[in-house]
Amino acid sequence: MRRPHRKAHRMIWPVLALAVLFGFAMTLVLRPPAEPAPPPTQEQRR
Amino acid sequence: MSGYVAVGWNRTKYIYDGILIAGVVTYIAAFMGIEAWLHPPKAQPEWIDLRIKALGTCAFLMLTIILSIGPLARLDPRFLPLLYNRRHFGVLMFLVAAVHAWSMVEWFWVQDALPSLVDEFTAWPNYLKFIGFPFKALGLVALFIFFLMASTSHDYWLAVLKPPVWKALHMAVYAAYGIVVIHVSLGAVQRDRGLFLPILLGTSLAIVAILHLIAGARGRPIDRGIAANSDGWIPIGPPRSIPDKGAKIVAAPGGERIAVFRDGNEIGAITNVCAHQNGPVGEGKIIDGLITCPWHGYQYQLKNGCAPPPFTEKLPTYRVRLKGGIVEVDPRALPAGTPASVKVPLKA
Repeated sequence: MRRPHRKAHRMIWPVLALAVLFGFAMTLVLRPPAEPAPPPTQEQRR
Repeated sequence: MSGYVAVGWNRTKYIYDGILIAGVVTYIAAFMGIEAWLHPPKAQPEWIDLRIKALGTCAFLMLTIILSIGPLARLDPRFLPLLYNRRHFGVLMFLVAAVHAWSMVEWFWVQDALPSLVDEFTAWPNYLKFIGFPFKALGLVALFIFFLMASTSHDYWLAVLKPPVWKALHMAVYAAYGIVVIHVSLGAVQRDRGLFLPILLGTSLAIVAILHLIAGARGRPIDRGIAANSDGWIPIGPPRSIPDKGAKIVAAPGGERIAVFRDGNEIGAITNVCAHQNGPVGEGKIIDGLITCPWHGYQYQLKNGCAPPPFTEKLPTYRVRLKGGIVEVDPRALPAGTPASVKVPLKA
């Protein structure tokens, strides 16, 4: 690798890692709550 | 196109590819077998859904490994054999990802629901949302990048585009990796409530990012460079401080890296940038009297930086001298192929 390539690597990785980590964390934080399980029917109760 | 010579297949490549294919087939079979046993699919779309998951996670794991190979090889030479045929790894990963995408189309197709798929891609207001963003579009963008990389991975394209452009093009894999993480986070992670996918994504992201950050930081001191003497030469150290059949890598401040090799009592300096893929020649060794690049085995003569006949690659060389028992290198590069090595006395 040449110097500019290494420099690009060193600049890109911290930014990319932080951006992707932030996006990933936000998808977990904003994830809609799980839908509640449907109530059992009369037939199942029997 | 001049200078392009196809690299032939050899036993090592067959073994590498055999292990790759066996690994992919085993993973997909194991994933589908265990999932089908735990949650038996009831209809054809559920089988296709299972295949989508198996192929998707397989491609993502492969991408994680591919992105880890580079920094691992820089941190520990024992990982260099993985780098040797990394392009085949990338092409296979693209094929697995392409079948994953095709399986998704098939899932809609068998249910006569292809218009719903089109609707997902053309629901323009959703492109302004975060949760609800058409995540399949992200997958398609990443797949397109992987296609570009797979189709230009052959040495023919390396010779046509030249190593700096080719390397820059292939750095798009980093963007593609980020896009894939968000594709899965906005897609499968929103639908499946289990911990498997968040753990898979988080672990992959941590491994890939930390490895690249460590490898980048490790190389920083070399790039800071060594201050030159009053006459512009850089001190390297006593001859024996350069490992026999190996090299010391140095740089002038702001300059490109120089690999100073020693083969017994002969010392020569060449650029650290291989003519093939800009690999770090100085991290290689002298094998059969030839400097051998650790990435793909390209070889050069110590005395003049020329590849042995019939190959025609040449690397810039640097003047070296012994002054007061210290090896010094002139950081002003000589034209590629210029003889510049010297013989020095070795003290016990």
